[in-house]
Amino acid sequence: MQQRSEQFLDSADTALQDKDAAQRRDLMALFAPAMRDAAVENFTAYEATRKHVKRIRRHSLDNLAHYLAQFEHQAVANGNRVHFARNADELNSITLDICQQHSAHHIAKGKSMVTEETGLSGFLQRAGLQVVETDLGEYIIQQAGETPSHIVGPALHKSRDEIRALFLDKHPLGERQLDETTALVDEARKVLRPQFLQADVGIIGANALIAENGYSMLVTNEGNGDLCANLPRVLIVCTTIDRVLPRAEDATAMLRLLVRSATGQAQTCYTSFYSGPRRAQDLDGPLETHFVLLDNQRSDILDSGFAEMLDCIRCGACLNHCPIYTGVGGHAYGWVYPGPMGSVLTPLLTSLEHSNALPNACTACGRCAEVCPADIPLPDLLRDLRARENSERLNAPRWRLGISLQSWLAGKPRLYHALTGACIALLYRMGRKRGSFRRLPFAGGWTSQRDFPAPQGKTFMQQYKEALREH
Amino acid sequence: MSTSARTDIFARLRRVTSATQAENVEQERASLGSAPPPELPADELCEAFLVNVLKNCGSAACASNRGNAVRAVAEHLYRHHRQHRLVAGNDPRLAAMPWRDAGVLPRFGALESGELVALSFARVGIAELGGVVTYTGRHNPAVNNFLPERHIVLLDVADLVADTEEAWARIHRASDKQGRPRGINIIAGPSSTADIEGQLVYGAHGPRHWHVILLGDVPEGALDRARAATGSAEPD
Repeated sequence: MQQRSEQFLDSADTALQDKDAAQRRDLMALFAPAMRDAAVENFTAYEATRKHVKRIRRHSLDNLAHYLAQFEHQAVANGNRVHFARNADELNSITLDICQQHSAHHIAKGKSMVTEETGLSGFLQRAGLQVVETDLGEYIIQQAGETPSHIVGPALHKSRDEIRALFLDKHPLGERQLDETTALVDEARKVLRPQFLQADVGIIGANALIAENGYSMLVTNEGNGDLCANLPRVLIVCTTIDRVLPRAEDATAMLRLLVRSATGQAQTCYTSFYSGPRRAQDLDGPLETHFVLLDNQRSDILDSGFAEMLDCIRCGACLNHCPIYTGVGGHAYGWVYPGPMGSVLTPLLTSLEHSNALPNACTACGRCAEVCPADIPLPDLLRDLRARENSERLNAPRWRLGISLQSWLAGKPRLYHALTGACIALLYRMGRKRGSFRRLPFAGGWTSQRDFPAPQGKTFMQQYKEALREH
Repeated sequence: MSTSARTDIFARLRRVTSATQAENVEQERASLGSAPPPELPADELCEAFLVNVLKNCGSAACASNRGNAVRAVAEHLYRHHRQHRLVAGNDPRLAAMPWRDAGVLPRFGALESGELVALSFARVGIAELGGVVTYTGRHNPAVNNFLPERHIVLLDVADLVADTEEAWARIHRASDKQGRPRGINIIAGPSSTADIEGQLVYGAHGPRHWHVILLGDVPEGALDRARAATGSAEPD
């Protein structure tokens, strides 16, 4: 997928112009957090589970070489072939090689953000394979030639009417109404069923890999991933090396957080654990199964100050609660992962130089960290990326000058308090009549959108010291 | 390409992660223990399980013995499809059921085109999730779980556990004796999607309906209490 994160501000502007889409985002920003909050409230062990899973994730990542080797050993013993890919190109090539070895033409694909990251579908299609996304949301955006706007609900940016028009255009099924959502889902079911049945290769992702027994865990509501995993003669599981957990019970402990945080359900319809190819006397199942395990900067992240980002379980709660994401939508972020988690991951997986607008797309409100089931300090990581942006001189020179001045001044508290006290007193005198300023030097970004309230005479520190003296 | 990628990735990981000995890593993991047990919606296990099945938009029935279970299957089939045919995997527990007593006509094998109903016998039921665990393999083809219009699952009360930790303990004990199953599926509701404007619709790809029959000593009134707790109506 071509990265357009540099255009974040322009893309955000464009997104805000589309009033209907903005209204749908507003609605989702009400519903999704409410559903998550209700599910978490009903789960009394939420905080304790969050702490437990955090400890398990830290332990797994601290010992990743051990657990990855254990997973590989067990997966091979289960009859799988395990491949490693350093980067996106390698994952794509390995997957294409497997497909070509089996003279595959039809590929049924389950939802996988990792394969979005590597651009696998487009790569296979350019090599002449027919790839069908089978998750309903992914299918809709594939038909529309778009990219996911959300890591859990990839087509939530599209209205029902848009999807209706898309299906009427893309499915040659004669005259029909398709007025109801159920009719649209039924039509997708009808169109996709033969795709599962004729697929030569199924490609799915994994929510976790289990070191103790070599299974992968797949969590879905539709069951499409399970059809991809069981009907075609070859199964390829594409995921990243950091998904390994020591035990099966660790994966289901994580599941308790994932499901509630993602959709507000207590449990998804299907949680499946796959070990390998079909056995003698099995009536179905793949004849050959592969794991393709991608690094793509994860080992670098593990060795950086951003290692906690690898704890992310891809629930999307931070997106649903972020005022920036819900304001401008996922496409504005210009790559695979949007919202707060994407604003940290994108610079780490691609380059800060081409995505430095993203860590700045943050109001520091802290809601993302509050609701993150993996307890990732997202605002801190975004701040650290902004600090790196500054030290690598990627931001505008006048910003750097301002930050340098602020930093110099903050190191001299007496001077700082004297200067801020004088400024506040001056602004108070200038603005007390009107109560606010329409324009102010160095604050054009603020006053272009709204008035700046006039200070009320004294700084916080002045008032604090006075209060101390009085008591 | 793959071999050197493997070497590179492991070399890098060994540089940046701990060099703890394998046995110490396992000890460290053991010291972290298990997740805290989740709260169940009822003190009694069957009732808690049934509450969660109904919350997951499944339907449920109870049968005190195998004869009643067969009758419950027959009634459910006739009520919804006006027929007595279904497909069941080659599970010896299903083969041993007295199907003729209720006139049910099972075909043992994998679901084929045009067949609407599949029946599975669960290995474990998990009250915490309101879900059943099936193994895919020769006793239960995967298509029987994921392709029918209606999926009926029998669960023996003796196989009902409180949470996933207990379920794994059972699955691991069985795997130690019989080998690892090819697939372990936790099923907790009919196939669903909310990908269009967030509206929940059942029957995305797989079963539109999911029905659980709890077989054995279910405390009297457990299903009624579960229905009352979830506001679920009794079937017509």
